Amino acid sequence: MMIAMSFFRAIVEREFMQFALITGLLIGFLAPLIGSFVVIRRLSLIADTLSHFSLAGIAIGLYFINILGVGFLSDPLYLGMLFAVIGSLIIELLRNYYKNYKEISMPIVISLGTALSALFISLSGGFTSSVYNYLFGSILTVGRVFTFIIIGVTILISGLLVVFYKQMVIISFDESYAKLLGIRVNIFQFFTTIILALVVSLSIETVGVLLVSSLMIIPVAAAMKIGKSFKNTLFLAIIFSEISVVMGLWLSFELSFPSGATIVLFNISIFLVVIILRRLIKRKNLRDNESEALL
Amino acid sequence: MRINVNNLSFGYDYRTVLKDVSFKLESGDFLVIIGNNGSGKSTLIKCLLGINKVPNKKIYLDDININDYRRWINIGYVPQKFDDFNYEFPITVNEILSVSKYGKITEDERLIWLDKLGILELQNENINNLSGGQLQRVFIVRALVNKPKLLILDEPTVGVDSTNIERFYNTINDLNKMGVTVILITHDIKSSKANFSHIMHLYNGTAVMKKIDRNVGDSS
Repeated sequence: MMIAMSFFRAIVEREFMQFALITGLLIGFLAPLIGSFVVIRRLSLIADTLSHFSLAGIAIGLYFINILGVGFLSDPLYLGMLFAVIGSLIIELLRNYYKNYKEISMPIVISLGTALSALFISLSGGFTSSVYNYLFGSILTVGRVFTFIIIGVTILISGLLVVFYKQMVIISFDESYAKLLGIRVNIFQFFTTIILALVVSLSIETVGVLLVSSLMIIPVAAAMKIGKSFKNTLFLAIIFSEISVVMGLWLSFELSFPSGATIVLFNISIFLVVIILRRLIKRKNLRDNESEALL
Repeated sequence: MRINVNNLSFGYDYRTVLKDVSFKLESGDFLVIIGNNGSGKSTLIKCLLGINKVPNKKIYLDDININDYRRWINIGYVPQKFDDFNYEFPITVNEILSVSKYGKITEDERLIWLDKLGILELQNENINNLSGGQLQRVFIVRALVNKPKLLILDEPTVGVDSTNIERFYNTINDLNKMGVTVILITHDIKSSKANFSHIMHLYNGTAVMKKIDRNVGDSS
């Protein structure tokens, strides 16, 4: 009880905690929302791919700022965002190039991103604490500007999703039917991939490059096993994700655990609980049915 | 919908699949296409749906060159397989229908279609819990909700039980009577209750079409 009190007091009293909470909640909302469409389209690896490519941008940004002293990039994350978008465009290009082996695009872009990251991290002074923060996230250090960016992006993406809900759902579930309806699938995919790139690069601040995909995919993976309908599944995924963010933030604050890791471990725990509970319930129903049949 | 196909030849890479196919259909015609595997049935349908790109002046839909045609929601299509559909993620029958609907259709109309195809009680069911035949009927309703002027059905009753096959053909025949042009691919022309007006045999990409006297007054 005492522990929880200090967490709530910190949120009320400390600005950095408010920024962390707002950012966490908004990313916790956006990531599974976008992640659902990614999962349906069987593109689960795309988030990892984009985050690794984004890291290349961050590494180059660090090189510009720390070594070349170029000041216009106040935060290397902006270059990371740009790189996520570039990475998404390369993926779309390669996906059209290998029609039947679309997933080939992912390892190619991951490799390029990781190689560039390694090169520029080493050029810009090696493995520093800021590099560690980009790899594993540091939600407790997000600033005012970043919080406003997140708020803006959340409003923008939610608005787009409300307007284009039908098209998004049809394209995700049945691309060829969407084409039949005359929806310009390529244009939609282009924009959704760019939006995905934005969300990925923004999530880096929360959980880091290496854990971004878990925010988008794991709550969805849990929700889709118990969701009754499409909307119900989205809702559950967002709830799971938000619980993980709040619990993760709390634990990392109290115990000085790394925030990204704690959030992701909560996500995984929820996933495991859901899978195990579902199994138990299924088995119980089966037993009940069998005993009814015997009677 | 009026369809006009003029000397259409089509092939993939070096293999010619359709050879000089020509035919005309008026609104309210009902064409059944039969032919062996590889005879070009699916290729012809993909040409009519604009999936296979054909040269100008080969296909006209309502007198519009297919390459300039934009009102695709006028065409309802039920494919033979639903391999393109991403299963396993939860979505209910109603949710699929509501996002598939572009034309004006009221709640009542949707319920009527579901009822006509015998899946009214499944409307809030997750599609992943449906059998193959039930799913097939959901996709048939999906093709109907936009009030198509042309219906293209590729082996639509595979996996559907006999009672529901009958329901299906009753619905299709009724729609056809209201002026919807129907193109049906089937292997089992004898047991189908289709009240067709034309029949086309496709043999190695060559088409032979015959006009049939309809069973006038046969409402079944």
